[in-house]
Amino acid sequence: MTTNGNAIEVRDLSFAYGDIQAVDGVSFSVAPGEILGFLGPNGAGKSTTIKMLTGQLLPDAGSISVLGMTMPEQTLDIQARIGVCFEEKNLYENMSARENLDFFARLYGIKGMDFDPYLRRVGLVDRADDRVGTYSKGMRQRLMMTRAMINGPDILFLDEPTDGLDPVSSQSVRAVIKAEADRGASVILTTHDMHEADQLSDRVAFINEGKIEALDTAENLKLEHGQRSVRIRSRDGGGVEERVIGLDEANAGDQIRDAVAVEGLMTIHTEEATLEDIFIKLTGRELSA
Amino acid sequence: MTQTDRSPRAPVSRATIIGTIVRKDFKAFVRDRFYLYMSIIGLVAYIAIFWVLPNSVDESITIGATGAGIESLLEQATGSDAEGLTLVAFDSRETLMTAVEEGDEGVALGLAFPDDFFSAIAAGRSTTVSVIATSEVPAELRTAMDSFIKEAAFAISGSPLPVDYQEEILGVDRLGDQVSLREKFRPMLAFLVLLIEMMSLAGLIASEMQNRTVTAVITTPATLADFLTAKIIFGALLAFSQVVLLLIAIQSLGTAPVLILTTVLLGSLMVTGFALIAGAFGKDFISVLFWSMLFMIPMMIPAFSLLFPGSASVWIRAIPSYGLVEAITGTTSYGQGWAEALPNLGMVLAWTVVAFIVGLGILRRKVQSL
Repeated sequence: MTTNGNAIEVRDLSFAYGDIQAVDGVSFSVAPGEILGFLGPNGAGKSTTIKMLTGQLLPDAGSISVLGMTMPEQTLDIQARIGVCFEEKNLYENMSARENLDFFARLYGIKGMDFDPYLRRVGLVDRADDRVGTYSKGMRQRLMMTRAMINGPDILFLDEPTDGLDPVSSQSVRAVIKAEADRGASVILTTHDMHEADQLSDRVAFINEGKIEALDTAENLKLEHGQRSVRIRSRDGGGVEERVIGLDEANAGDQIRDAVAVEGLMTIHTEEATLEDIFIKLTGRELSA
Repeated sequence: MTQTDRSPRAPVSRATIIGTIVRKDFKAFVRDRFYLYMSIIGLVAYIAIFWVLPNSVDESITIGATGAGIESLLEQATGSDAEGLTLVAFDSRETLMTAVEEGDEGVALGLAFPDDFFSAIAAGRSTTVSVIATSEVPAELRTAMDSFIKEAAFAISGSPLPVDYQEEILGVDRLGDQVSLREKFRPMLAFLVLLIEMMSLAGLIASEMQNRTVTAVITTPATLADFLTAKIIFGALLAFSQVVLLLIAIQSLGTAPVLILTTVLLGSLMVTGFALIAGAFGKDFISVLFWSMLFMIPMMIPAFSLLFPGSASVWIRAIPSYGLVEAITGTTSYGQGWAEALPNLGMVLAWTVVAFIVGLGILRRKVQSL
């Protein structure tokens, strides 16, 4: 742990690809067992930040402390205790799932490991000896997740772990992420899927143009930046009348009471801002951009 | 939320990590049927080609002759210093023509002297000698015969040409030391195996880049240096082992085995260096093929130049493979030792260093940009 008990402590991190400032003075921390969602559109600086945290890139400026160790001095010690699941399905396709896992386990100094419990957890134990080249996209993603966990990591870096997966595979991957966090692993989850971030993350960081625009729990972000309202629809003669009443308005209670008292009431819905709405409000950009 | 308490695992040694990657590379090579079959088929084909090629070399030329009293002329000619020239007498012009046409007794060319040749020469009269040749006989040989006849005529008339000549051979004089076509192919076959393995390694590296498996490897305790070292070891071992197999199969390790193995090892390292460059630029099979060919074709030139007599042009000596081909040829065909091979080995070493510096530099940048 870092001196203040965090698993990850990042201060004023910066990196530029030539003239392009990819990451610009980013600071944040991640507690043990916490899932931190990194939300941002393509090119926002998410992947570059993760590359620096996993030792693939040396920062131009700033400091990184992981599990009480500093980068780049102790990169190898840090890498021994982290797991990374990439967005690209970078597996050895001519090798089976078991051979892939065995190869990576040996790089961590683990020999003779029984991979079946891991493979069973993601539903791949029956195909463990088939070449990965014959796997579907979802199966590969689940194997990638398994690979990221073979060293029992204290920190997991997951880059778009459910991107393009079918609902069953997505559910399976999300269950594994939750279980790892429950085990005590800290998770940095990079995604541009607001629902996934909302569902899984303890806190969410909005990244845009290399900077963290906001960092808090999803609930707090919605409370602070979103607008709560009630949408009421009722019949009005031959048509339908719709009223939206903001809950933060001074006489919201009276307005709602009047609205529901009318004849022909059809539906009443409470509405709150989504993370995407808040992201757009804060950055002026869409997450899927 | 509580962090699982786990004591750090003992660090893995660099040797263990590199060994693990090399084993994985070997597995990947064996599973890639294209490169595996290409290596096996290539090796078998080269061995077969070597043993099919002729193992003898004939530096002499046989010329048939006919005419009255020609025996004395033949005695004069064969008694002279006309090295590599054999003259055979025939009874008649017809038998000579048949012999030339059918290549009997190895006769490449025929000279039909008129019956009054000697008397005509002695009297200072003009006479005609027929040169009988098939269309395959090179024009320069026919021209040489023309000179031979004129020189013989001067000698017979008692007025030999007042000119003597002295040969000055630039480069190595291989007269009397010619090697057979089989011998000429020996370094070329060894070099071909090296080039094929260069392409195999380039393909393996390109696939690691393209699939980004290299990124997965270097986020474990394995470093980029471990990854590249493993590739170099695997590539050099792959090329070295295959060439050694070839050399054993074509019986080339009999003389100076340490020198030959050192030469092959250096050659394996050199092509590995070029494979790093080709692999870094390769994006798929076709581009790997393109980049490999870009290096392979020029590097074949010194090996091909051995098939033709004469010294290599100066520009050929600037090709990275020149030193390697020269060293293999000198050692396996002409029994050269360390002293003669060292300049060539030095050249190979220098090119190896250059290829590694460039290849590793490009690969490092490429990986960092993934």
